[in-house]
Amino acid sequence: MTAALDVRGLVAGYDRTVVVRDLSLSVGAGKTAVVIGPNGHGKTTMLLAISGLIKPMSGTITLGDERIDGSSAESIARSGVVHIMQGDGLFADMTVEENLLMGAFVASSWRGRRETLRRVYAELPVVESKRDQKARTLSGGERRLVGLGRGMMRPARVMLIDEPSLGLAPVAIEAVYAAIAKLRAESGATVVLVEENFTHIGGVADVVHILETGSIVRSGSFNELSNDRTVVETYLGSITDVTT
Amino acid sequence: MTDIVAIIVNGLVYGSIYGLVAIGMTLIYGTLRILDMSQGSMVMIGGYVGWWALATHGVNPLLALVLAFIVTFVVGTLTELVSVQPLIGRRGEVDFEMVTFITTFAVGILLTNVALQHFGPFQKNVPPIVSGNLDVYHGVSISYHELTMAGVSVLLMGALGLFLARTRWGFAVRAVAQDLDAARSLGVPVSRLYPATMGLASALAGVGGVFLGALYFASPTAGDLPLLQALIVVVLGGLGSLTGTLYAAYLVGLMQAFCEVKIGTTWTLPILYTAILIILVIRPYGLKGSPSEARL
Amino acid sequence: MTGTFSGLSTTRWMMLGCAIVLVALFPLVYTDPYYMTIIVTAEVVLILNISWNFVLGMAGVWNFGQLAIYALGAYGAGWLMLHQTWMPAMIAILCGGLFSAVISVLLAFPTLRLFGIYTSLLTFSFAQVVQYVALNDPRGLTGGSYGYPTVPGLFPNMSQTSYLRAYYWVFAAVIVASCLVVAWLRQSHLGIALRSIRDSPGYTAARGVNPRMTRVIAFGLSGFLAGVAGGFYLSFEQSFTTSQMGLTPMSIDVTMLVIGGLGTVMGPLIGTAIVTVIQTILIDYPGWQLTILGATLLVIVIFVPGGVVGLISRTSKRVGAWVEEDSEAVEPAET
Repeated sequence: MTAALDVRGLVAGYDRTVVVRDLSLSVGAGKTAVVIGPNGHGKTTMLLAISGLIKPMSGTITLGDERIDGSSAESIARSGVVHIMQGDGLFADMTVEENLLMGAFVASSWRGRRETLRRVYAELPVVESKRDQKARTLSGGERRLVGLGRGMMRPARVMLIDEPSLGLAPVAIEAVYAAIAKLRAESGATVVLVEENFTHIGGVADVVHILETGSIVRSGSFNELSNDRTVVETYLGSITDVTT
Repeated sequence: MTDIVAIIVNGLVYGSIYGLVAIGMTLIYGTLRILDMSQGSMVMIGGYVGWWALATHGVNPLLALVLAFIVTFVVGTLTELVSVQPLIGRRGEVDFEMVTFITTFAVGILLTNVALQHFGPFQKNVPPIVSGNLDVYHGVSISYHELTMAGVSVLLMGALGLFLARTRWGFAVRAVAQDLDAARSLGVPVSRLYPATMGLASALAGVGGVFLGALYFASPTAGDLPLLQALIVVVLGGLGSLTGTLYAAYLVGLMQAFCEVKIGTTWTLPILYTAILIILVIRPYGLKGSPSEARL
Repeated sequence: MTGTFSGLSTTRWMMLGCAIVLVALFPLVYTDPYYMTIIVTAEVVLILNISWNFVLGMAGVWNFGQLAIYALGAYGAGWLMLHQTWMPAMIAILCGGLFSAVISVLLAFPTLRLFGIYTSLLTFSFAQVVQYVALNDPRGLTGGSYGYPTVPGLFPNMSQTSYLRAYYWVFAAVIVASCLVVAWLRQSHLGIALRSIRDSPGYTAARGVNPRMTRVIAFGLSGFLAGVAGGFYLSFEQSFTTSQMGLTPMSIDVTMLVIGGLGTVMGPLIGTAIVTVIQTILIDYPGWQLTILGATLLVIVIFVPGGVVGLISRTSKRVGAWVEEDSEAVEPAET
């Protein structure tokens, strides 16, 4: 079910602007890779290329033994890639429940959607309490949880999560990462999680990659990198800010 | 008092038919973000199907409606594939909304002139779906045909509403309208959804065309006026808002009835268009559209 | 192609000059009244198209009210010719142009506050209102559906051949003049500003150009030319009906602009010529005319968005590059 994700030599961008240059990234089946990097250097572009929302300019992306680069976003989604987009990607005029149900759109998941919905509500009671509210009326943290919940509505072989802590207060971020931990445990999916810095990721990362100017410049375990002075100073300012 | 009843009755009838034709346009704008200028031609085609089925082949009226639905569904789908789909990949380079305005308009011209070639320029009589009149009030009567028209319109719009609110594909259409990329990432096959949506919208206009054919004859240019009227309704209601279109349809219907009774038919359309002009200057997003869509 | 004056070599200027001379001499040699009428009518349409191309193509504003402006120029000039008989016809036409320019500028203000589809809806609605009001002719100003009453026009008492020639030359002169003006404007401050507003409005505004005023000027200039075209039409054809403003002429004109190449200097010329030829050949089959035009519009917009001019310039660039490659290969290698 779960598959390894292998990205090689990915080049991607918009119109004539190249953002991701020769990026290679391998994530073992069921593992969680966290990609850290400054804004504008290609983290979101990389995820968009993997889920097919933008077409890669060159390079290969393999899911298990299936090549997915060049396929349409919808067929990649059907292959089991769940992309939880930056800024939620919720349907603003649909209720929370409708948003979640849309998460099960893929034909194979649609039939069992009510059952799946019950399970997701059980995991995320906050989301259930807002089920009939329109998505546009929720707070940032609530929307993020709904987005994660929507990602849980179908079986994922690979899950892509784009900056889950963006714009949230610390309390909300805790709730979001707690949900992510549940998600990992339940689905066993291969996860690529993108964040801007080191805070919060210690508990989820099996491996950390640093992305700068469009490619991966360093990789290592969370402990290795968080103890490396240059890395920490670039991304945090001081060692004391790192939490595990 | 007679006047008031006449205005209300006629207003509701007009409103229903405007709703049917305009709701298709709103559906298309909401999902594809284009103004489909070929919708008028779908009404025209519906009229001709009505004529062919009812006048020359004496087909059962219900069957005629179904036939019009199917024919215009197919034509609408083909229109999308020919005039919109090729431009979707190029959304970056060209002004998508405007170019599709022209291409759908071109398709409209094509369809009008194919009809002209095939059927000739003269109007054709389309028999009413149901004959006879109903007296509502002193001197105010409504034909059963108009009553059926209003009824079927309401039924179809209700069905559309249910479709959108309760079914998997209805959800998909709403999702695409609200956030295209999120919908794609959830597996919605957008390249199949677009033509089907345009087909559905055209089919609604086609059914309207059968009814309108009995009131205004089937001719190659029968679609011109409905197109202009649908534009008025859609702008008033707010591009992309289905509920807005519904309110606007009845509002415009009542306004037209009012103008006809009190002022005379010749001035109805210019007054309506002046109203649009004023709306576009003051509140371009109409009754229920969103402000971000219209202004710089 | 033609664009900057500095870019035109002497040879190009001489070719242009020869072309102009040939065009001018043409009616002395050819006198068939039927085809001459078609040509002269096409000239007026071309003037209208040049004006429309300026605001639609170069300024990039989706203005669908141009035909109404054109008609208003006709009505304005017509009124002056009928009721102010002391005024020379040419002045009346120019005043009609001014009238149109003013209306165009007034239209510009609300239009430019919107963008995209709303601009076209607003200008389209404006055109509809003008058309309906003209049709219903509340105070006998426009002649309603019967068309405008006959006016003396520019050349009231000439034989048919001279009449045709005179109009031919006047219109040709206006065409040449407006093409030159447009070409000059294109590379002037105004033209560059317009094109950069069209292509990147934010950047242009950040560079200190006032996008609204620049475009208002564009509206005014194109309105003036359109109004003059209207006066010319009225004068030559001796009538003007509201059908001149309808959806059909609008579609035909748009087709001419798109086929030629929207936003280019030579585009309207080429497009008008091609479509006029098609129309003339198919004069007995009006249904076929519009079907073919509709299909052509569709095909060109989708496959050849730059129109004929775009196609030619792309092809000549490719040929040029290919020629260069060849000549490089022939040069002996230097160490």
